[in-house]
Amino acid sequence: MLMIRQAWRNIFRNIRRSVLTCTLIASSLVVIILVDSIINSMTGLMVKGITETIEGEAQIYHSGFRDQYDPELYISDPKSIISNLDSDNEIKSYASRVIVPSMIGSSYNSDGVVLYGVDAEKESNTSRLQSAVIEGDYLSGSDKELILGRLIAEKLEVGIGDRIVITSSEINTNQMIQELFRVSGIVQFGPKELDEGFAFINLSTAQRMFNIGEGVHQIAIRFTNPELANSPDLDIYKTLPSDTLEAKGWLALQPGLGAMLEMTGLSTLIMGAILFILASLGVVNSIFMSIYERTYELAVSKAIGTRPSGIASLVLLEGLFLALISCFFGIIITVILGIFLKENGLSLGVMEFSGVAFPDNIPVILTLDQFVNFPFYVVLLTLVAAIYPAIFAARIVPAQAVQKAL
Amino acid sequence: MTLDLKLLYTILSLSILLPINLLSQSAQSIIDEVEKLYQGNSSRVKMTMIIQTEDYERSLSLEGITLGDDLANFRILSPKKDKGIATLMRFKEMWNFLPKIDRVIKVPPSMMMSSWMGSDFTNDDLVKQTNLSEEYDLSLSEKDDKYIINLIPRVSTVTVWGKIQYHILKNPLLPTKQIFYDEKGLAIRQLDFIESKIFDGKLLPSKLVMVPLNKVGHKTIIIYDSVSFDPDDISEDMFTLRYLKRRF
Amino acid sequence: MLILRMAFRNLFRQYRRTILTGLSIGGGYIVFVLSVSLVEGSYGNVIDIFTKDSVGHIQIHRKSYREKPKTYLTIDNRKELEELFYKESQIISFTPRVLSMALAYGKEKSTPVKVLGIDPNLEADVTRIKEKIFTGDYFDSTPNADGYYKAMIGSSIAESLKINIGDELILIGQGAEGSIANDIFIVSSIVGNENSFDKMTVYLPLVASQSFLSLSDEVHQYALLVNKPKRNLEIAAELQETLSNLDVAPWQRIETTFYQTMQADRKGNNYTLILIVFLVFVGVLNTILMSVLERTKEFGVIRAIGCRPSKLILLINLETIFLTFLSISISLIIVIPMIYWFANTGLLLSEPIDMGGVMFQHMRGEFSLNVFLKPMIIVFITSFLVSLPPGFRAARMTPKNAMDFN
Repeated sequence: MLMIRQAWRNIFRNIRRSVLTCTLIASSLVVIILVDSIINSMTGLMVKGITETIEGEAQIYHSGFRDQYDPELYISDPKSIISNLDSDNEIKSYASRVIVPSMIGSSYNSDGVVLYGVDAEKESNTSRLQSAVIEGDYLSGSDKELILGRLIAEKLEVGIGDRIVITSSEINTNQMIQELFRVSGIVQFGPKELDEGFAFINLSTAQRMFNIGEGVHQIAIRFTNPELANSPDLDIYKTLPSDTLEAKGWLALQPGLGAMLEMTGLSTLIMGAILFILASLGVVNSIFMSIYERTYELAVSKAIGTRPSGIASLVLLEGLFLALISCFFGIIITVILGIFLKENGLSLGVMEFSGVAFPDNIPVILTLDQFVNFPFYVVLLTLVAAIYPAIFAARIVPAQAVQKAL
Repeated sequence: MTLDLKLLYTILSLSILLPINLLSQSAQSIIDEVEKLYQGNSSRVKMTMIIQTEDYERSLSLEGITLGDDLANFRILSPKKDKGIATLMRFKEMWNFLPKIDRVIKVPPSMMMSSWMGSDFTNDDLVKQTNLSEEYDLSLSEKDDKYIINLIPRVSTVTVWGKIQYHILKNPLLPTKQIFYDEKGLAIRQLDFIESKIFDGKLLPSKLVMVPLNKVGHKTIIIYDSVSFDPDDISEDMFTLRYLKRRF
Repeated sequence: MLILRMAFRNLFRQYRRTILTGLSIGGGYIVFVLSVSLVEGSYGNVIDIFTKDSVGHIQIHRKSYREKPKTYLTIDNRKELEELFYKESQIISFTPRVLSMALAYGKEKSTPVKVLGIDPNLEADVTRIKEKIFTGDYFDSTPNADGYYKAMIGSSIAESLKINIGDELILIGQGAEGSIANDIFIVSSIVGNENSFDKMTVYLPLVASQSFLSLSDEVHQYALLVNKPKRNLEIAAELQETLSNLDVAPWQRIETTFYQTMQADRKGNNYTLILIVFLVFVGVLNTILMSVLERTKEFGVIRAIGCRPSKLILLINLETIFLTFLSISISLIIVIPMIYWFANTGLLLSEPIDMGGVMFQHMRGEFSLNVFLKPMIIVFITSFLVSLPPGFRAARMTPKNAMDFN
C-alpha cells in the first residue's frame, strides 16, 4: 500500500515530465484505435459490399459450377438442401437462383447478359436487389417481369414497360428458347460489371424456360451471425458437401479478398508495433530521467534496507500509473474524435476494391473491444518498457550512488 | 407459314407470288393466300449481297438451295477469302461450315440475335418461325394500289417489335415494303422489295433493301442474279450436316 | 567555436540520455521513412506492374475506338507514326497491337477469348510478356511448315479447352467488315497463371492477327513507354497535339476505375501518414523537451557564470541538431538496407490482391531519395522547433530561479 502511494506521488513530483510522457502514450493509443477503426470500417464495407450485394456470405452450388458458370451444372433436386436450410437456425436467409448467360434484345439493340432467375421474396432478404431498384418496381412473382441493370438498360435503349426478348438455350437439350418480357424495374448496384451485365427474372419463370424443373444453380446464404460465415464448424459446411455439391463461405469464394484483408491486417500490425516501440522509447526515457533525479533518494532507501525487488516494483508501479493515466485521457480523446467521425465519416472519394464500390464517406465506427484490447496492450507494453529502467534502479549500489549524487 | 418465314423465303428463294385477284379480301385471307403460294417449293438461287456501313462497303456473292419451309443451304462464292463458307438452316437451327478450318460450327442459340454474315439481317430473321394468324392481330386497309396490313403482336407473342406494317401491291400481288416499329410507333427498320423482274417465268422483286433506321449509314442490299424453281436435282439429303461439308 | 565544442561535448556527457533521446528521434525517423516508402512503394509497384503488364504509359487509338471498339476503326498510317516514335526522345519503346474478341475451339469445348495481335519483338520492349511465359517458347512471326501461325494462350484457356503446347487452336470471330474470321493456330506457349489479366487472352503474331481479321497493315492500338513515367500526362498531351487525328491517352484515362481507386486509397493512407507524423512529432518533442527541462539547473549555472541568453539558445539548438543529425545518420545505416529489401523483395502475401483489376502479391516499398529526404527534413524542422521554447525558457530564467527549479 505504501509503495502504491509512493509510486503515485512520484508521478506528480515532476508534472511536466509526466504530462509529456502521458501525451505520448495517449496519442499512440488514440492513433492506433483510430487507424484500426478506419481499416475495420473499410474492410467491413468491402466484405459487406461483396456479401450483401449479390454473392451472399456463403454459397451452395454444383461442383465446378463456379469455374466456368456452365449452366448444365445445376442442383437438380434442391428440396432436401432447402429443408435443411429452413431448419438450420444458424442461417438467417437464403436465396435460390438460376444463372444462365443469355442474349437480350430490345427493338433497338441486343447484347449478352447473365440472366438470374431469383425468388423475389427470398432474394430481398438475402441480397441488395430490391433496395437497388432505382426505377420501376421490384419483382412480384408474375411471369413477364424483368429487372435490368442501369447500364444495360441504357445500351438497349429501354425504359419501364418496354419489350425485351431473351434468347438462350434450354439447358439439357440445347434447344433455342425465346421468351418475351417487359422491363419492370431498373437497378443500380454501383460496380460497372453488375450494372452492365445482369438481368433478373422470377425463379419459377427461369426454371420453366430452361426446363430444369425445381433445379437451381446457386443458393446464396446469409447467416444470423455473419462473423461465423467462414467457420468450418458450421453445419452447412460439415454436412452438405458431397461429390456433386459444394458449400463455401465468402473467404473461400473470394480468395483475393482474403489477401486484401491479410495485407491490411499486416499493415495495421506493423504500424501498431512501430507506434508502440516509439511510445515505449518515450516511456523508457521518462522513467530513466526520473530515476536519475532520484538516484540519491533511491540509494538511501536501498541503504536503509529496501530490497532491490522493492525498488524495481516501485519503478514498475510508476510505469503502470503512467500507462493508466494515459489510457484514461487517451480513451476520452478517442471517444470525442470517434463521435465526430461517426457523424461525419471520412471522405475518400470514389473507390472500388475487388469489384465493390465504396460510399463517398466511410463511417468510422468504434467498438467496445477496441477500448478494452488496445488500452490493455498499452499498459502491458508500458510495463515491459519499464522493466529495463526498473532493473537499472534495483541495481543501484548505494555507496556509489550517494557518492555520485554528492 | 409466317411473315418471318416468308421474309426468309423472299430472301432465299423468291417463290411464286401469283397475281390473283384478292381485292376486298380480309387481311387474314390475303395472308393465307400468300402463305399457300410459298408452300412446298424447292429452288436454286444465285444472289449478291451488298453490306453498307458508314465506314465500309462489302459485297458477297452467294449460291443457295431451298426445300420446303424449313430447309436451306447457302454458300459464299466470293470474295476469295470467304469462299466456301456455307450455312445450313434446318428448322430452327443453324450451322456454319468453315472450309479454312474444315469444321462445322453450330450457331449457338444465344448468337441467333446477331448479324448474319455481317449484314443487317440477324440469324434469327432467317430461321424464325411464328404463326402469323396465331401470333399477330391483323388489320387491313387499302391505299391506292396497295394493301396495307398492320400486324400487332398478341400479348404472348415473343418479338421485340411493337408493330409490323406490310405493304402489298394489289396487282400484280407483290410485297413492296415491311416496316418494323417499336411500341411507341417509331419505325426502327424497313425492308423494301423493289425492281420486279421475271425469274423462271415468274414476276418477283429482284432487290431487297434492309435499312436499320436507328443506325446511321447502315444498309444491306440483296440482288437476285438468277432463280430457278423446282429444279430436279434438289433432295432432302442436301440439307444435312454431311452434305454441308461437300461442294455442291 | 567554443559553443560548438560545448554542444558536442554535452551530448557525450550524459550518454545514456543522449542515447535514449537519439533512439526516439531515430526511431521516429525510421517509422516515418518506412511508412512513406510503403505507401509510395505499393502504388509505384502497382502502377509499374499495371503499366508494364499490358497497358503501357500511354496508349494511342483511332478516335472513338475506345468508346466503341469496332474492328474496322484502325490506325493505318503506321510508318509515319513509328518514325515519329523513333524520333521522339521521351518515348523509350512502343508496340503496335490488334485487338478483337473471338470464340476459341479446342478439341471439344469452346470458350470466348480476347485476341491480342502483337509484334513479338516490339511487345517485349514494352511489357513483361517474355517473363510471363509459363511453359513453352516465346513465339515469332513465322508460320510453320503447314502454314499455320503460332499462338500463345492464357492459362485459363489451356485449362478449359484442355489444350497444350503443340495442339491446334481454332479461332472464330468477326472480321473487319463483318465476315466470319476463322483460322487454325498452333499453341507455342502458355502465358501467366489463373490470376493474370490475360488468362483468357490469345496472343497472335501481328501479321497473323491482321490476316485473321481481314485487315491490311493496320493496328488498333499503340502502347508506349516513356522515359519519365511520372510525366506521362504531359507527354501524352504533347503527343495529342502532334497527332490531332488520333486519340492519345495516358494510362490514367485508360484505366479510370483503377486510377480513382488508387487515388482514393492514397488519400486514406495520407490520413494514416499524418497520424504517424503527428506521433513522431510528439515523440521527438517529448524527449527533447524532457532532456532540456532536466537540465534547467545546469543552464542556470551556465547563465550564472555569464553566458548570454542568445548563446544559451544557440547552445541548446546546436545540441539538438547535432543529436538529430547523429541519430538520423545512424538510422540511415539501419533503414537503407531495410527499405532496399522492401523495394526489391517485399512482403509476400499468400494470395494476390485484386485492386480494380490489377493483381499484386507483394507489399513493396519505394527506394528513392525522396523517401529518405522528406522525413529527414520534417524531423530536422521538428527537432529544431521543439528545442526553441525550452531554449527561450532557459534563457529567460534568472540563474537563481533555474537553480531552484524543482
